[in-house]
Amino acid sequence: MSMFTLALKSIQSRKATFLLTFISIAISVMLLLGVQIIKKEANSGFLQPVSGTDLIIGPKSSQIELLLYSVFHIGTPNTLMEYKSYERIQASKNVKWAIPISLGDSHKGYKVVSTNENFFKHYSFANDKKIEFTEGKAFEDMFHVVLGYEVAKKLNYKLGDNIVLSHGDAEVSFVHHDELPFKVSGILKPTHTPIDKTLIVTLHAMEAIHDDSPNHFMHRPIKKKIEHHDESHEEEHEEHEEHHGEEHHEHNEDEHGKHSEKTYKENVSHKVAKKLKKLPLKISAVYVGVESKNAIFGIQRKINNNTNEPLSAIIPALAVQDLWDFFEFVQITLNIISGLVVFIGLLGMLSLILMGVQNRRKEMAILRSIGATPFDIGKLVVGEAAIVCAVSIGLGVVFLYVALFVLSQPLYDTYGFYLQIQPLSLRELAILALIECSAILISFIPAYRIYKQSLIDGMNTHI
Amino acid sequence: MIELNNMQFSWKETLILDIEHLMIKANEKVFIQGESGSGKSTLLNLLAGVITPQKGEVIINNTHLNTMKSSQRDSFRANHIGFIFQQFNLIPYLNLIENIILPCKFSLSRKEKALEHSKSLEEEAIRLLANLGINASSVLKRSVNELSIGQQQRVAIARALIGSPDMIIADEPTSALDSAHKASFVKMLFDECEKENITLVFVSHDESLKSHFGRCIELSSINSVKVEEVE
Repeated sequence: MSMFTLALKSIQSRKATFLLTFISIAISVMLLLGVQIIKKEANSGFLQPVSGTDLIIGPKSSQIELLLYSVFHIGTPNTLMEYKSYERIQASKNVKWAIPISLGDSHKGYKVVSTNENFFKHYSFANDKKIEFTEGKAFEDMFHVVLGYEVAKKLNYKLGDNIVLSHGDAEVSFVHHDELPFKVSGILKPTHTPIDKTLIVTLHAMEAIHDDSPNHFMHRPIKKKIEHHDESHEEEHEEHEEHHGEEHHEHNEDEHGKHSEKTYKENVSHKVAKKLKKLPLKISAVYVGVESKNAIFGIQRKINNNTNEPLSAIIPALAVQDLWDFFEFVQITLNIISGLVVFIGLLGMLSLILMGVQNRRKEMAILRSIGATPFDIGKLVVGEAAIVCAVSIGLGVVFLYVALFVLSQPLYDTYGFYLQIQPLSLRELAILALIECSAILISFIPAYRIYKQSLIDGMNTHI
Repeated sequence: MIELNNMQFSWKETLILDIEHLMIKANEKVFIQGESGSGKSTLLNLLAGVITPQKGEVIINNTHLNTMKSSQRDSFRANHIGFIFQQFNLIPYLNLIENIILPCKFSLSRKEKALEHSKSLEEEAIRLLANLGINASSVLKRSVNELSIGQQQRVAIARALIGSPDMIIADEPTSALDSAHKASFVKMLFDECEKENITLVFVSHDESLKSHFGRCIELSSINSVKVEEVE
């Protein structure tokens, strides 16, 4: 029985005494690792949606702004870019593919992205994963809509369902494009990117629902017309009365979006829009993939110096890094706090062991009589600290994973932030090793005291 | 076996023991009597090599303890000496068997000797307990704190005996026992030491036990430091 086995049995017999120490160190370990993991996951969560995109091009703006609205649908673009610029970009040298993106509308709080077939062909995320469908397929008709996984799940939509988009991106919108409902043509597999929370429609349809040119409206009765000055959409938008043509809408004041019948039916407006099939003049941004990675900077320079229209080209991976650097101080603060919590936990352990030193002189005398050296007795105490800390770390890791499992779903639901549960990385294991080493180092204090004590006491058992 | 020559030991500049000569032969059973405070514990610590005298020699088994390094003395003690204390002899967080075989973990020679008797250390512990009148199966599962004091002291004998050390030092081992148990305790200790040819040094202030021993040494008669001075 080495001193280590003795230490193990000694701690086992004092489980109850050490319970609070176990818990406090475990919680601190959970916090410390939690901060690391959230940081890491947030980082990869930000990187995943842009991992397959080499450049994002949008109207002149800061790179973080462009990144946030074009990829994460956070905030609204101040200006738009010409659709013509998209065509020019797509045609330019070294550009492998380009995906136009137009934003601005929503459906029950979920963002609507309008794009073209390139999106399904070329967009990739999380290391070369392509968009896949659980059901249905990409749009074949102008008024088809493809739903992100979460949109379909939360709103319980099926293929063929009728969907009315709302103008603007507020959760509750008072302007509905209900004269031109969409038909669900496909539902995507989960991507754990913002795409899960989006509805994808064609650029043509987006243009049609916002179009107010006489060509379009001469075909249908207009009762009311409201003008909007929304910077993101320079066109005017209308709110139409619920009755026109052969369409009949049930109106419910409380539940917007349930204006129309459940199943999609093509109406006169659809026919008109399809006949016109206009492309928008303006879009929000363009995702670009290049022929060779070496071309990225060249294209970026060219775009940024573009004379046709003031544009910005950003490298998303770098923009994410920039964004992340911005939050670094938060992370450092969290690290310091959780580091201090670990330290306090270890101090608690230290005081418990120190208290034990006085009460254990008898035990030490017995061990000495059997042949233990004062050094052995010091080792016993160090071993105890090592065990207490190791058990606490183990417990902390268990706490951490339980917390991750419990939190991952609510985190995703609330913030769209997908927490991938992975085994601990080398870096995290190194942190744990560092905590263990600190515990051992700190235990040299009581070990030295007990060493001195047993030198003095010897086998004197009449204490 | 045990030889002290011109040995002086002081603690914080106070002379506690000054023994000109003491000789205990191998296999002898010696009763050392002394009142509390007479330096009995100090003498035992010296014999065990936990402390060394400032002057003179402590020779055990022809080995000069006073010239050894402290770690050498510790391993010498592990190999050659078994101990029985007054009370609370057992490590509370180890079970009965673990307590008994503990000395074998510090001494390879005692482990080897124990394995000459039995196939495993556990078996040897059970055998020793049986010799001491404890049916191991009935107490095995219990925590050592649940044993009666009499049982605890017998477990302590088993621990001192395991691996047949050359010498057993018993420090007031009967003071917590009632008189009926005292006699049987001493007898058991005697019998076992006899079987294994172990030298026994039994220290107590209790004169009633004197009669069991072949030799009795009054500590005050060999120690030239007087008890009053120690206090």
